Amino acid sequence: MTATAAAATGELPDVDVATARHRFRPWRWLSGAVIAVLTFQVAWFVTHNDRFEWPVVAEYLFDPNVLAGLGMSVLLTVLAMLAGSALGVLLALGRLADFGPVRWACGLYIGLFRGIPPLVQLLFWFNLAYLLPRLSFGVPFGPTLGSWSTNDLITPLTAALIGLTLHEAAYMAEIVRAGILSVDPGQRDAAMAMGFTGGQTFFRVVLPQAMRVIIPPTGSQFISLLKGTSLVSVIAMTDLLHAVQTVYNQTYQIVPMLIVACFWYLVVVTALSFAQSRLERRFGRGQRSSRGEWLA
Amino acid sequence: MTDVPVLSVRNIRRSFGEHAALDGVSLDVAQGEVVAVIGPSGSGKSTLVRCVHQLEPIDSGAMYLDGELLGFEHAGNRLRPLPPKRVAQQRRRMGMVFQQFQLFPHWTVARNITEAQVRVHGRSREQAGERTAELLGKVGLTDKAEAHPRQLSGGQQQRVAIARALATRPRVMLLDEPTSALDPELVDEVLAVVRDLAAAGLTMVIVTHEISFAMEVADRFVFMDQGRIVEQGPVADVLADGRSDRLRAFLSRYAQTRDTRSAHV
Repeated sequence: MTATAAAATGELPDVDVATARHRFRPWRWLSGAVIAVLTFQVAWFVTHNDRFEWPVVAEYLFDPNVLAGLGMSVLLTVLAMLAGSALGVLLALGRLADFGPVRWACGLYIGLFRGIPPLVQLLFWFNLAYLLPRLSFGVPFGPTLGSWSTNDLITPLTAALIGLTLHEAAYMAEIVRAGILSVDPGQRDAAMAMGFTGGQTFFRVVLPQAMRVIIPPTGSQFISLLKGTSLVSVIAMTDLLHAVQTVYNQTYQIVPMLIVACFWYLVVVTALSFAQSRLERRFGRGQRSSRGEWLA
Repeated sequence: MTDVPVLSVRNIRRSFGEHAALDGVSLDVAQGEVVAVIGPSGSGKSTLVRCVHQLEPIDSGAMYLDGELLGFEHAGNRLRPLPPKRVAQQRRRMGMVFQQFQLFPHWTVARNITEAQVRVHGRSREQAGERTAELLGKVGLTDKAEAHPRQLSGGQQQRVAIARALATRPRVMLLDEPTSALDPELVDEVLAVVRDLAAAGLTMVIVTHEISFAMEVADRFVFMDQGRIVEQGPVADVLADGRSDRLRAFLSRYAQTRDTRSAHV
């Protein structure tokens, strides 16, 4: 009625919306309360349960064997990631090749190595000697140039490296392929038109632009690969998990030792996440920020 | 030597499945000549320049740049495709400007123009930088050297793209609808640059919808329809009587769209 009255008289009520109160939002109060209760309970559980054995955690957190295991896990991650990325780029290019057989071979590789669980692959490579007692290389159907006992070559380290690399390459191939496909084909035309060779076009024009799409999932791959290194403990590789297992197999302090492992995995993953966001910003140069686009 | 056309296209065909995008096209472009290629959408204009620049293969016919066969070589008495390196070398003697500019977004404006001079033509960074500065001056964008393409308007981007194509002193420039992706008020600044190039005697093939502009700068009109050249000749002759029905129909449609456009302005 006031509105019609104002419309009738032509006068508007004197109001300033800055004086308005916040709306009552019951779901916020409820979810806030639930979170508060849960937080309190978890904190109580963690601090009042003696079986966590926090002094043991503190004792072993910087134990030389634990740190050596951590170093090995990080080293494995970095090496498998580097080799896997290089192989992944080649596989991605193969998947995009004009020549059918190359395309199919790369597709088959990706299907196999993405489809078989990494734990199974590690065991397989570790037991390669059963299938191939000796490894040789030379001219096919011709002379052999070198030959080694498989048991000498396949140590836990090489088995772990091969298994993780081949597995990672299959995932990286799909990520890189999606990145390449995200670049406007006109960019390739423009580079070729200027007389750049195929290699220059790919490495100087296409790949740098594809990086914007490649980096976020690669960061996730790096993180899941780091966690995946814990699998190598089954082939007696001295990684972080293996290091804490060695301790608790003697002391039976299973829970505190696992917490030591969790702590270090989380530290490295957090550092990696940070590095990832820095990289994303760097490769976003010349582009609108993806954040602005999504929040707009 | 002076009689050899800069660019010579002989009866080329290009099909996409059943559809013949180019159905036997022949065209000679002489030194310093400006050829405007006009025609309705889908008539094969863009395919023609893309084929000349070897961005798309041709199914039959032949093309020559300064008398040199493009894309193929004689080996004994047989003809075989050139290896990619040699194709790249041939492309270096032509410049191409795309409808969608296709500047490299991860490089600055200056680097867009400099990079091919250094990587492809082996100039020193210093020499290339001088040429880049000179070209940016020519297209009136000296102050944008360190900007990224995304920070520029469409018209500015296209002017940079023209400078980029000019950087390596091409024998012939191919412009594929250089103003079609631009807002109407940005068209003139790009046409002004092309006009300067024509005046400077650069050999050009311009695919365009800007008929009045083409009339002004072109020495010759080529009218294409359904993958064929239907009419060609000096601008005055082609437009004077519009000899074929198809050209007459196209021009009258063009006149209509021009009227509606000017009505908006």
